[in-house]
Amino acid sequence: MDKSQNAGRAGYYLYMIPGMLGFILVVLVPLIANFAISFTTWKGGNIAPRYVGIENYQRLLADTVFWSSIQHTVLFIISMTIVPILLGLVLAAVLFDYISAQFSETWSSFFRAGFYLPQILPLTAAGVLWAWILNPVGIINAVLKGIGLDFLAKNWLGDASFALWAVSAVIVWVQVGYCLVVFMSGLARVDPSLYEAAELDNASWFGRFRYITIPMLMPEIFVVALTTLIAALKVFAPIYVLTSGGPDNATTVPSYLSYYHFFTTNRVGYAAAIATLQTVMTIVLGIAFLRMQSKQEGGR
Amino acid sequence: MNMFSKLAISAGMSLLLAAGVAQAQNKTFNVWWYELPDTPQAKAWTQALGELKAKHPDVTINFEQKTFEQLQKAGSLILNSDQAPDVLEYNKGNATAGLVASQGLLTPLDDEFKSRGWDKILSDTKTQLSKYDQNGIYGSGPMIGIPAYAEFVSVFYNVDMFQANGIKVPTTLEEFEAALDAFKKKGITPLAYGTVDSNGQHLLYTLALTQADDTWVKNYQGLKAALDTKPFLFAAQKIVDWVNKGYISKDSTGLKGTGGADNLFSSGKSPMFVSGTWNNGNFATNIKNFKWSQFVFPTPKYSTGSTGSMFMVPKSAKNKDLAEEFIGLVLSKENQNAQANLGGVAIAADPAAITDEVGKRNVEIFNQISDKGGLGFYPDWPVPGYYELLIQATTGLVNGSSTPDQFVARLKKAYDDVQAAQ
Repeated sequence: MDKSQNAGRAGYYLYMIPGMLGFILVVLVPLIANFAISFTTWKGGNIAPRYVGIENYQRLLADTVFWSSIQHTVLFIISMTIVPILLGLVLAAVLFDYISAQFSETWSSFFRAGFYLPQILPLTAAGVLWAWILNPVGIINAVLKGIGLDFLAKNWLGDASFALWAVSAVIVWVQVGYCLVVFMSGLARVDPSLYEAAELDNASWFGRFRYITIPMLMPEIFVVALTTLIAALKVFAPIYVLTSGGPDNATTVPSYLSYYHFFTTNRVGYAAAIATLQTVMTIVLGIAFLRMQSKQEGGR
Repeated sequence: MNMFSKLAISAGMSLLLAAGVAQAQNKTFNVWWYELPDTPQAKAWTQALGELKAKHPDVTINFEQKTFEQLQKAGSLILNSDQAPDVLEYNKGNATAGLVASQGLLTPLDDEFKSRGWDKILSDTKTQLSKYDQNGIYGSGPMIGIPAYAEFVSVFYNVDMFQANGIKVPTTLEEFEAALDAFKKKGITPLAYGTVDSNGQHLLYTLALTQADDTWVKNYQGLKAALDTKPFLFAAQKIVDWVNKGYISKDSTGLKGTGGADNLFSSGKSPMFVSGTWNNGNFATNIKNFKWSQFVFPTPKYSTGSTGSMFMVPKSAKNKDLAEEFIGLVLSKENQNAQANLGGVAIAADPAAITDEVGKRNVEIFNQISDKGGLGFYPDWPVPGYYELLIQATTGLVNGSSTPDQFVARLKKAYDDVQAAQ
């Protein structure tokens, strides 16, 4: 590389300045401030914070609500990442292979838009709607009772045994459309001759799905898995709108717990410690995932 | 005209425009409250805003409807920003008003209290929740808010259902439980109850107050000593018993008090609803099919209740004079009488001027409770975050995921932590 090439490349760095400034102001400074606050007790406002060392972290490690919130996050990884990806793959393949081929492209687009609709709706509006539907005297129970299935009517969001599953179901409903749309756009770039060759060899639908669709969609699967994994680790809005972490903390997640301490108990330092630990967890899992992805790509 | 001159003129015009906008913004008076539009308070306060507008036609009044939860959760954050309004309704108590007062986010109103003659309208007992010390504990310190109404928790009951089932208004806890049992035997779940909001904790605290004496209430509300859990243990046990006996539905854990359990009462499905006077407007408007009334939950002395939420002037308010003028209008005899005649619990109404049945009954009940010094205040006041904790813990009781002992242990831990830090 000669001198003129280096000078040309340096010119590109100028274009990164706005983005870098934004990153520093919106992400880096608050991140460092949050980390610093996590070593203090602070009520917020004009009262000065008091340095307490690692006291907040010690307290956090002994906080049973925090540990149960981590357990809930694991379930939300399943409902925000794994289930929507699996469902999205199957639905994308069905719409692409079957609906589009047997009926028309219009019907395929219609279903795709339908599945994507929850992504467009404001989550708070969707949450209020679902809270109404899942209410003990809401539509689901009214319908179940109306058709004689009284025993299936439950206190969906108010019973600790069902609340986590009910919230997970709503999250799956929200997430599937995102996975589906990305996978369908991925399928559009797959060479049709692969499917034609497989069909000539009498490969079954499942065989084509297993040996062509999934391997060809691996780049999309990794992108969707990473973005939904990060979303699952910091999930907040559905919990806030549907259950506020209840009943009896049965659906609390770290983000909500942090928010709760920031704004209601006014333990700003403790909330900052939760947020810090959550950030570390997200970064570690994100890096591990990216490494796994690059290893996979290297192996291909 | 060259390019430089054009630019200079454009810049000058922009500055003038910006200055004009800034001046116009100074004449905007921002008011927030969370009382729902159909409540007597909101109706009376809207009248006061109309009077203010008539006196200051050049002022743009910008009213914003908030929710109680919104301000409960983000109040200190908002008050600490330049987005704070000129005057707002805010919850009283150590955990809310006390906290923001201790953070220096409110304007002291002591001088105005005297100079504007409010001291002749509100007695000392009616302003005990207006003063907070540097630790945010009520009772002393600068006056940071003015109550404009009163409120209390009582039992709303369906008079027709009581009469149809031959049940009398209970005057003791035993009679109350007998009434619950009588309804249950008729296949009716007697109590409308929702644990997702404050309704859950109000019934629980009302039960705790049946076991409370002066020392307990004073200690509890003032963070004077480690938590004596006996009254709460009694209340928790009663809640569990009532769930087991079917007096309270397990579905209560999926219902709010407002927008859930209140509908069970107003639709005639449950004959009783233990809740606050903030339901009066809703019930007066919407209950058409049966006669309803209220009675004080049978307790020896204390009931859940207090003077109402207060109007406060944030430190960063831009129109403090207008804010104080508005508070004066709300406290005026005309506005207080109007509030009572709309069915509200006015704090300074002329009893002789009240003709509305609901308003008259509520002023009488409030006087009955306050005259014996029986305002027990609210359970979430002493500790920041207790509101949420009580919701979760009470839900746990009804849900069966917590025993009464575990319940009081949770309350004690959070309370004693804060109390020890005083």
